[in-house]
Amino acid sequence: MVSLLLVLAIQGSPPPFVAIEQRLARALELSVGDTVRVRQEPGAPGLLMVVEAIYEPRSDPATVLRNEFHARFHLSDLAALLGAPDRIDRAGVSLQPGVDPDSAARRLDRLAVGFRVRPSAEIASESSRTFLVVSRFHRAIGVISIVASAVFLLCIMLLKVEERRLDAAVMRMIGVRRRTVFAALLFEACLVALLGAALGIGLASVSTAVINAYYGHRFDTDLRFALLTPGITLFGAVLSLLLGLLAGGIAAARLVRTRPLVLWRRG
Amino acid sequence: MIRLAAKNLSRHRLRNTLAVLGIAVAAALLLDMVMLAGGMERSFERMLLSRGYQIRLAPKGTLPFDTEATFPGAAALSARLRADPRISAAGAVLGGALFTASGDSLLPLAGLGVEPQGQGLYELDRGADLAPGDTAGIVIGGTVAAATGWRPGDTVRIVSGTDPQVARASSGRRLVVRGVVHWLYAARGQRTVGIALPVMRGLGRVAGDRASMIMVKVIRDEDVEAVATEIRRLAPGAEVNSVTTLVARFRTRLTYFRQLSLILGTISLFVGILLVTTLLTITVNERLGEIATLRAIGVSRGGIVRRVLAEGALLTLAGNAIGLLLGLATARYLDGILTSFPGLPAAISFFVPERGAVIRAAAALLVAGSIAGAWPAWRAARAPIAATLREEAT
Repeated sequence: MVSLLLVLAIQGSPPPFVAIEQRLARALELSVGDTVRVRQEPGAPGLLMVVEAIYEPRSDPATVLRNEFHARFHLSDLAALLGAPDRIDRAGVSLQPGVDPDSAARRLDRLAVGFRVRPSAEIASESSRTFLVVSRFHRAIGVISIVASAVFLLCIMLLKVEERRLDAAVMRMIGVRRRTVFAALLFEACLVALLGAALGIGLASVSTAVINAYYGHRFDTDLRFALLTPGITLFGAVLSLLLGLLAGGIAAARLVRTRPLVLWRRG
Repeated sequence: MIRLAAKNLSRHRLRNTLAVLGIAVAAALLLDMVMLAGGMERSFERMLLSRGYQIRLAPKGTLPFDTEATFPGAAALSARLRADPRISAAGAVLGGALFTASGDSLLPLAGLGVEPQGQGLYELDRGADLAPGDTAGIVIGGTVAAATGWRPGDTVRIVSGTDPQVARASSGRRLVVRGVVHWLYAARGQRTVGIALPVMRGLGRVAGDRASMIMVKVIRDEDVEAVATEIRRLAPGAEVNSVTTLVARFRTRLTYFRQLSLILGTISLFVGILLVTTLLTITVNERLGEIATLRAIGVSRGGIVRRVLAEGALLTLAGNAIGLLLGLATARYLDGILTSFPGLPAAISFFVPERGAVIRAAAALLVAGSIAGAWPAWRAARAPIAATLREEAT
């Protein structure tokens, strides 16, 4: 209250209000009612303003890495502070229900030069270009990782089945049919692949939680940086099963085609 | 030893081919991640130093051209800096939106007001450069030349602010195209033009001696920090950044990519080790009889260990060779994706194929692959001769 009266005495009129974000309030140890001097640049006289509100901004992935502080001013106050009266960067127009945004934008655009009118969807599409690039990069890295895991899985399954050649030889020699041996080996490969997939999904859940906790703490945000969706889980499990079947099938087919005595000798 | 290892590996072609392929993909990913981890910073540093300017001044609390903010006293400060015997060049830059008529509409241009006696933003491709005090000239980038058809010697009209009330340009100038230049920091497709700083101020109606940035070129690299400290004292309203501090701030913004490269690089190394260990363990298990026979006829434990390790090294080496080519190809593809970030300077690369990075990735995998053979080699060497031979005979 004392500071407010002091300000009134200096400026001669009620000080303008400012709303600051929670992080800035914490960093500067400010609370509602405090008076702050806001300057356009160091050394400039600036304006005394009263903190009217402290708000928690909506988490925005576009700005989280910039780690900048934000404050909200009344338009006229900011214009006065910047020495740019009656100038704006952008304005929003809300249309009546049923009005087509594209045709309205085209009509408004023809009214005057000096500004460009664009539908919100177009702006949203342009401002999400950064995330489209990141998304494409993630997809490409994902494909490489899948290829690496596929080759790895094929190799392991092949080795796993080949390890059973003595058992296969014995089964064949005691009269078990080729088809049965093949099915047994394939079933085993399936089980191993499914078990591996279950372990992988568990590992992915843990790493997702760790990643979100780490980056959430680092950037002081509730944004989620890694998502393990049911679709991704299903894709991982199905891919693992298919690769297991493929590798197991190739290896089992090779084993059952080989004569039992040869299998035995090679053991 | 190597021939013997190669012969042993050729006994199981399918599995070893798959293993080599697996190692190759792991090696490719590792190489890409090593390139990504250091490539961005080196590429950014190289871009910043492309004209030898080591210091940038920007409005307090900002990075150069990160915001539309400007700071006062710029041209006076740059003139003072040019008088410093340790400084070979310094120049203020003011950025702003400009337009030119294109048919019945306006073509937006990125305008940069420069001091020709100390500009580090472009290199001349053809025509002439702006001379100090040249208030009638303009230099244009290749994209502007392509979009407008302007050539050196042409007279063009440039406008800045447009007045919505009267639907026409609020201020404009006729300028002569002096030359076509290559903008060092421009984003892909960005239409950039350069004019003298006072002309830019006039067009943009910028009052006072304001600029977006000052670039400073210090003669001796060892004087950079001392000069930066002195400029900080001279211009408390400006953020004084040396290339080192800019790279450090750039690194902070790209933490995500560095951490991603570390995680994926570690995973690929782990996959490579796991693959070699598994393969060699099974191979050794299959050949225990053969190994016991070799031991029985006098081959030492060290000899057995060396053979198994040689097989691991050979597998890794083959995987590395394929992985190197695969890694370079995928790096190019991934770089193509990341460099399409909107607004990113065209000179920046994320994956920089440097000899050091290639050697580091290959050496890491080779060492890891060789170590991966240690466990199966130890098992092979410790196999009891008599018991193994008896087991084999039954």
